[in-house]
Amino acid sequence: MDGDAWGMTRIDVQELRKEYGTTRAVDRLTFAVEPGRVTGFLGPNGAGKSTTLRILLGLDRPTSGTALIGGRRYADLTEPLREVGALLDAQAAHGSRTARSHLLALAASNRIPVRRVAEVLEEAGLAGVAGRRIRTFSLGMRQRLGIAAALLGNPAVVILDEPSNGLDPEGIIWTRELMRSLAREGRTVLVSSHLMNETASFADHLVVLGRGRLLADTPMQDFIDSRIRPRVRLRTTEGARLRTLLLGKGFDPVQEEGGRWTVEGARVDDIGPIAAREGIPILELANEEGTLEQAYLDLTADQAEYASSRPPQTQEA
Amino acid sequence: MSFPAALHTEWIKVRSLRSLVGSLLTVPVATAGLSLLVCAALGRPEPGSTDFDPVLFSYYGLNFGQLAAIIFGAIAMGGEYKNEGIRISLAAVPNRTLFYGAKLAVIGGSVLAVGLVASLISFLGGQALMDRGFGIGIADPGALRAVVGCALYLVLVSLLSAGAAALLRSVTGALSVLVPLFLVLPFVVGDVSQGGGAADFLPDRAGRQILLQAPPGTLGPWSGMAVLAAWTVLATAVGWWALRRRDA
Repeated sequence: MDGDAWGMTRIDVQELRKEYGTTRAVDRLTFAVEPGRVTGFLGPNGAGKSTTLRILLGLDRPTSGTALIGGRRYADLTEPLREVGALLDAQAAHGSRTARSHLLALAASNRIPVRRVAEVLEEAGLAGVAGRRIRTFSLGMRQRLGIAAALLGNPAVVILDEPSNGLDPEGIIWTRELMRSLAREGRTVLVSSHLMNETASFADHLVVLGRGRLLADTPMQDFIDSRIRPRVRLRTTEGARLRTLLLGKGFDPVQEEGGRWTVEGARVDDIGPIAAREGIPILELANEEGTLEQAYLDLTADQAEYASSRPPQTQEA
Repeated sequence: MSFPAALHTEWIKVRSLRSLVGSLLTVPVATAGLSLLVCAALGRPEPGSTDFDPVLFSYYGLNFGQLAAIIFGAIAMGGEYKNEGIRISLAAVPNRTLFYGAKLAVIGGSVLAVGLVASLISFLGGQALMDRGFGIGIADPGALRAVVGCALYLVLVSLLSAGAAALLRSVTGALSVLVPLFLVLPFVVGDVSQGGGAADFLPDRAGRQILLQAPPGTLGPWSGMAVLAAWTVLATAVGWWALRRRDA
């Protein structure tokens, strides 16, 4: 199917709030997830990611606010599995059923053709164990089954909660490729994770939560660039001359042990031409790219500072 | 979202779990098997007794068959809550009333089918196996009523159990309430051999009035069945309320 075929499939979360007793799991959360890209849903454990996803799927009731898919509440979808596929918890499938019967039961409820069961089992690499009881599956196989279940209705929106939990390296690559290809097909893909490097490998866009609040909702590269200053690492035979030159251009090169130089706030495009113009031999020149992990830690450090610098709240009676 | 589709799903769930197929088949095996055994071994009035009831004799196995029906109802509903599996089910069928209704319909329907088989075999086989002259026919007073009543009884207790499992969100939770309710409480609350008193209104005592040719006590055969049905309606309504109201 091509990208236009999916129609309205935006996920819209508006002013969402969920309180359990006095704990606020989700706090005035607003964000949107667009089709055609993979959105990483990041945050430490307990940040409210799973709660948000459960509300989105109509499993939990929000204290206030709305969570809509294509403008509608999940509970109002006529055959939801045909529109939204979700993996919440790979351990939830009943261990005494076979993988095939588990999927057959799901398919029947949404009048999904039986042949889809064999198709998704094949796609998830579970065709050979379809008749085995789920309790004999490893966590990785259960994740694959959960993803197979999410794909059953060929949905335009795919929501996966920590899909790479327990997956072997091959499975992780498979999931990553799958998510990317689902997005390429124009589907809306929302994937939660608490693993940074993992998320960096598949996400185009990020929604970051901390303590139930929205910390960031930006394209992944922007997120990194805005938080991590670029840095260039270089080696040259004429360090002193280059240093003077760069100081004149407003950079501040610092010599490291072993004769290597680093220049904060610069990119290779800044340094290379200058050195070439002056005929300074460059032995090595490389950008040190910021990682999602660094950017995320930078963000959470800000948050921690913010949290600890707040005046202590007055105790409620 | 259609009711037939939800029914189909629930039926697939029942037939794909060994524990459900096993407990469902145990209903007729235990009910009819033990009834026939008792009728064959002891099918005559004790010397000097005046209250020999050939119909009740035919349903001795119901004591055990009812347990299988309770277990079936508890697993069919309560099994959904194991490891939060209910989330998968409700994501597929978000209309909780539809989900719950389909579940109860499949539980009740399956038990009705095996219950009728159990009931017919228990009665016809039991009467045939009794000592000559004591067995009665299906046209005799109270006989047909008991055949239908036994199946209805099994259906109602399985649904009662399912309702409790939905409320308590657990198989063991449901069983730890229902087993005492059916097996212990009747003996604690009142002398089983005598009619009258609160014990008559316990679900098992009330529901089994229909198995007697001439039921003693306050409740008649159908009013007794109505009391059991009221218990079932109460349990399933509370289970429905809990399912609708709570986060999954």
